[in-house]
Amino acid sequence: MSETAIRPASLWDFANPTRFLAIAGPLIPILGAITAALFAAGLWMSFNAPEDYQQGHTVLIMFIHVPAAWLAMFCYSVMAVSAIGSLVWRHPLADVSIRAALPIGAAFTLLALVTGSLWGKPMWGPWWVWDARLTSVLVLFIVYLGLMALIRAIEDPVIAARSLAIVTLVGSINIPIIKFSVDWWNTLHQPASVSRFERPAMDAAFLYPLLVMALAYTLLFLTLHLMNMRNEIYRRRIRTLRMQAARQAEGA
Amino acid sequence: MFGPHAAYIIPSYIVTVLVIGGLVIWSVMTHRARLAELAKLEKQGVQRRARNSENG
Repeated sequence: MSETAIRPASLWDFANPTRFLAIAGPLIPILGAITAALFAAGLWMSFNAPEDYQQGHTVLIMFIHVPAAWLAMFCYSVMAVSAIGSLVWRHPLADVSIRAALPIGAAFTLLALVTGSLWGKPMWGPWWVWDARLTSVLVLFIVYLGLMALIRAIEDPVIAARSLAIVTLVGSINIPIIKFSVDWWNTLHQPASVSRFERPAMDAAFLYPLLVMALAYTLLFLTLHLMNMRNEIYRRRIRTLRMQAARQAEGA
Repeated sequence: MFGPHAAYIIPSYIVTVLVIGGLVIWSVMTHRARLAELAKLEKQGVQRRARNSENG
């Protein structure tokens, strides 16, 4: 089947990697352009936001720290859903999705930790405190690194996919712990200001740039995820072709 | 420009640009390398036998 031939399909048809490539190919540059435009708008709004009466200019760090922290959790949630798809339905793209999201999630978590530390130092005094929010995010980063090590340690792709999905699901217990850590325990980290049931506890001058930046980060994740899924499919094709070449060489 | 906390704000943005830029460059470079490898294998006459074999 040609990669460019697109016919009306059921959701299950999207499990076909060839079909995925046909859809992802034209979608990636469009998503990339929208992401770039949103980053330009978000940064312009951020740098034109007023100084916070308590935090001064350090509020600028919020516009890059908070979306990174959100995406660190969102990325892991996508991986957990993909892990269910991999274990329950053996969806061909589910394992591809987990593997593709791993380095992106690790990068966003690292950004959340580093920018959080750079924001915490002038606001709290220390670079780091072992409170529930910070520690649980550090655990998330270690889980990401552990999963990346896991897939490199297992040679068999079927066992690697199964192991990755199981450990990903086990690790997902950390996501609600991160989210509710500021409510369950006394922490130095401030509680939720935007993602809560009541009206956001933030002035519109800061809220709108933050939301635009969050949208930009989310679309960046989607773009990179599609790019990495495409790369992972190509990696598998290369592996298959190399194995076939080796078999052909043995038979000759 | 950023007041007394410039030493914290500027590194935050630099780290963000480096990490995000690094992710984008790594993804693009990997894509190019994979396409080149696929083209090389196909040039050598190696063909995929089964559509499903790419999943494993």
